Formats: sequence, C-alpha cells, structure tokens
Amino acid sequence: MKTSQAEIVREYGPFEGTRNIGGVTYDGRRVWFAAGENLRALDPETGAEFTTIDVAAHAGTAFDGRYIFQIAEDKIRKIDPETGTVVATIPAPGKGADSGMAWCEGSLWVGQYRENCIHQIDPETGEILRTIESKRHVTGVTWVDGELWHATWQDDKSDIRRIDPKTGDVLERLDMPEGTGVSGLEADGADLFYAGGGGSGKVRAIRRPR
Amino acid sequence: MDSLITAAAQALAVGDAVGAMKRVALRDDPPALALRGIAMAQLGDLTRAKALLKSAAQAFGPREAVARARCIVAEAEIALVSRDLTWPEKALEGARLALERRGDRVNAAHARNLQIRRLLLIGHLDAAEKLLADLDPSPLPPAARAGHELAVAGVAIRRVRTEPARAALARATEAARKADIPALAVEVCDAAKVLEAPAARLIDDGRERLLQLGEVEALLASDTLVIDACRNVVRAGSEIVPLASRPVLFALARTLAEAAPSDVIRSILLARAFRARHADESHRARLRVEIGRLRGALANLAEVKATSHGFALMPHDGRKVVVLAPPVEEEHAFLLALLADGESWSSTALAIALSLSSRTVQRALDALEAAGKVQFFGNGRARRWMMPPVVGFPTTLLLPGPLPSE
Repeated sequence: MKTSQAEIVREYGPFEGTRNIGGVTYDGRRVWFAAGENLRALDPETGAEFTTIDVAAHAGTAFDGRYIFQIAEDKIRKIDPETGTVVATIPAPGKGADSGMAWCEGSLWVGQYRENCIHQIDPETGEILRTIESKRHVTGVTWVDGELWHATWQDDKSDIRRIDPKTGDVLERLDMPEGTGVSGLEADGADLFYAGGGGSGKVRAIRRPR
Repeated sequence: MDSLITAAAQALAVGDAVGAMKRVALRDDPPALALRGIAMAQLGDLTRAKALLKSAAQAFGPREAVARARCIVAEAEIALVSRDLTWPEKALEGARLALERRGDRVNAAHARNLQIRRLLLIGHLDAAEKLLADLDPSPLPPAARAGHELAVAGVAIRRVRTEPARAALARATEAARKADIPALAVEVCDAAKVLEAPAARLIDDGRERLLQLGEVEALLASDTLVIDACRNVVRAGSEIVPLASRPVLFALARTLAEAAPSDVIRSILLARAFRARHADESHRARLRVEIGRLRGALANLAEVKATSHGFALMPHDGRKVVVLAPPVEEEHAFLLALLADGESWSSTALAIALSLSSRTVQRALDALEAAGKVQFFGNGRARRWMMPPVVGFPTTLLLPGPLPSE
C-alpha cells in the first residue's frame, strides 16, 4: 500500500451562515456542498458563490450528470440543480446513519459512518445491491477513473484512501494533516479532490495522486 | 458524522432540543448518546443528561479523545450548575489538556473557565486568580466570554476591588448582548446589581448604616481602624491582624470597638466573649488573660487600656475606629449567603464550600428549614437546598458541541 501526506492545494470558506460542511460534489463547473440547512455551490476557480438551494443537506452529496442526490436525515432526495425542485425521494440505506455518497455506473454508493461500510444502492428504489466493508469510519465516497476512494474520520484522525471495490483492501492512502478532517469527498475528474472540512466550515481542494 | 447526527446537532445549535431528541432518541451509539445528553441538559433534566454524557464519554473511549473530552467538559458544567461540587477535578483537567493538545482552544478555554468558576464558588480565591491569570479568553465565543468575565468580576468583588469588577461586568454585559441569550443577559444584569447592593453594615460611634462595595473599598483604603466582622480581621490600611481562628479575641475587639472611645464594663465583655451570664473569679482571670493576648495581637494598631470598670480600645495616632459587619447578621448567615446565589445546593456542596462537617451543615439546614428560610427538593443524595423564591435553575448552560466534526 502506498501512503503519503495529503497535499492541500486550496481552501474555500468558511462561508457566512454555515457552521458545518457535509457532502461535496462537482458538476463540471460548480462545487456543491451540503451546508446543513441548504445546498450551496461555489466556483472553484474564483471561490465565489453561485447559488443556494433551500433543501436540508446533512450528509453525502452526489451528481449523476443531470441531478444532484442529497442525504438529509434518513432520506436521499433527487434534486434538479437548475430549478431546485426535488424530483424523487428514496430511503437512505443506513436509515440516517449514512455519511458520504457518490454516483457511478448507474448506482449510488453510500457510506455508513460508524458501521465502516459502503452500500451500492439502486437510485430508483434505494434497494441495497451489495456492501463493501471498510476498516474505518466512512465519511466521503467518490469514484474516479474506475477507482473507488473514500474518506475516513475516526479517533480524531482523517485520511483519503483508495480501496479495492471487491475486497475492501486498502490500496493507497493520503493522510490528512493533524486536526484536519474530511467530511465529504468528490473527484473533479482531473487532478483534484474536493473535500468537506466538517466543523472547520471549509471546503478544500486536495491533489489527487496519478 | 452521519446524516441524523448532523441533523440533530444542527437542531441543537439553534436551540431546538426537542427536535434533536426526536432524531436520535432511539440510537445508542456514542455520538447519539452525547447529543441526547446535551439535549436533556438544555431541556433541564440534568440528572439524565449527566448519565447520558457519562455513558457517551465511556463509549467514545480514549482514542476518540476530542469527543470524549467534550463530553467530560459538558458533564462538569452540568455538575457545576447543579452545585455538585464533588465532581472529580482531575477528569476535567485531563479533558482540558486533551482539548488543548488537539488544538480545540475554544473548548479548552471553556473547561478552564469551569475550573475557575468552581474555585470561586468554593471560595478558593488565590487558586482562581492564578488560573485566571493564565487564561487567554480571546478564543471564547461571546456566551462563554460572558461567563469568563463574570468569574473575573466575582474574584474582584470578593477582593473588594470595585473598578476591576465594574470593568469586567461591563465586558460581560457586552458579551451577553452579542451572544443574544436572554437568560444569560438576565444573569449578567443580576450580577451587576451586586455593586449597588449593600455589601456590609458600618457601625460607627453607635450608629449603623449600610455600605456599598465601593464604600467598603474606600473605608479599607483609609487609615481608619476597622474591626472587620465580615472576614474576622482587624485592619488599618495595609496592616491586617487575622483573628478568624481566635473567636474570643475577635469578640472582645468588636465589643470594645462598638463602644469606643468609651470603655466597656467587665460583665459585658464576659457575656459577649464567653457567653457567661454570671461572672465569677475564674472568668475574670480568663478575661485578663484574653485581654493580654488581644493587647499583643493589636500592638501595632491600638492600645487596650484598663479602666476602673473594664477596658477601652484606644487606636494609635488618634485614629477613628469602626466595625464593619455583614448586612444581615443571624445564625447560619454564611449558609444563607451561599444559598443567596439563587442556585440549588446539595448539603455536601455546602459543607465543602464552608469547610464544615456535613453534620453541622445538615443541622443548620434543618433549623433554617424549620424557620422557613430555606427549602429543599429531592430526596436522599439527590436532595437540593435553595432559598424559597427561586424557581428552577437560572444559570445558563453553555455546553460544548459534543462531536469532533462540530
């Protein structure tokens, strides 16, 4: 297993009116982050904010190319980012103990925080298709270039790790600096991860190893 | 943190304790236990809150140091507000150090503040001042800052230093305004009234009047000879003769001072100092001995002169002599003074605060209760004592967010 220190490229926030950052996703232009009472979007180039959608956003956030999926309490809502309308609602697999979420190949992948696992679910029904075990508390989850990455935050330590989606074995690990947690995770498809910073109120851009 | 925990924490942060409870009521994982504990504290069920926070701290275990430490700090704050002074200080200090090590300066400062308030409450002023001197209050958010300034004011008031007290109360008022918590603003406002309230009673040449704290401070700074029955010392300027451990000498000094410049006849001195109704020769001998001791103790401040009927107190350099007494003097006044803070106390806490035995405190409480001056609620170890007009627990809890992602 390769391990290295996570390289923080840029920090955004804290943002006025938001204490805690949860899930993070990227639609190719905007970085969306779950801000508790609402879903907010920022421009990663300038750091300026685009828009806010008034929908409860307590944990993972994902984007399927058209819609945003957002976990709040024990539900996952499917939201049209252009209008802010909720178009569907499914139960969250962890019944509210869910944290991170990613979209990949027609499925949603939902982390269950203290149960140390990631569920692959049907985005139409919420049905659990399979479950991958992790070794640590799961926060953010993301897929990029066929690689499954997830963030952990446990025992006051945090890291971002690539795991084998079949076995759950850890293949590579980026350790976050002490006192820096990752609450949500998204890859931009190129060189970066975007990471929610929990109670720091920040969103961070972190170099993705190639 | 997971979704429901985040939702519950968010509800708590905006004061919706019931909403927070609803979301985690059925969960027993450590973050849920911690949130339920904080929610119960905000709802006023301090006993349940303490039990929940204790089990949360245990469930988090030593590796989740920050979450665990925050639970311990919350537990300590609840103990302080419920006047449960048997709280183990070591656990709080351990939690404070853990928070400091992990860079959680806000909650580390909050923990320090709790330690200071506890010391203040039990009258350990030197220790409280020492901790205050080392505490940097700048990371504290407004609500905790108000609590800190109240502690600073508390020390200054007990040290009879009006200006620092006034300044700290002004800062507390400003911080409470910023915090925008009504109960806290009321508490600061009540604390500020102390400066205008009677702090002591002056007995001067047979006349009595009430003094405010500022007037007491001015009196103590003058070169008047003060027989201080609030602290059981005799003082003039910077010269202080402590007589707290010598009650007979103090009673003699006070009796002589109340009559000065006239003398006091032996039978009155005997009655006041020894509570002797019919004096015999042995009492007279004892009086001579005690007057001799008083002469020695006060040698730098005054002379105790024998007259034909008794004795007279003659301050050096023709100084004025006055007696400074508590505003209300009655039996068990110290107990009532503690209860006057409007909180409910356990008899154990009162015993610790007054350095008295539990039995002595219990007897005094029973007597005061029979006289309708105090009341209790709860039974057995949970019994709490308070002054009659107070309802509930007015002291604001400023609990830390229990979770590291907070």
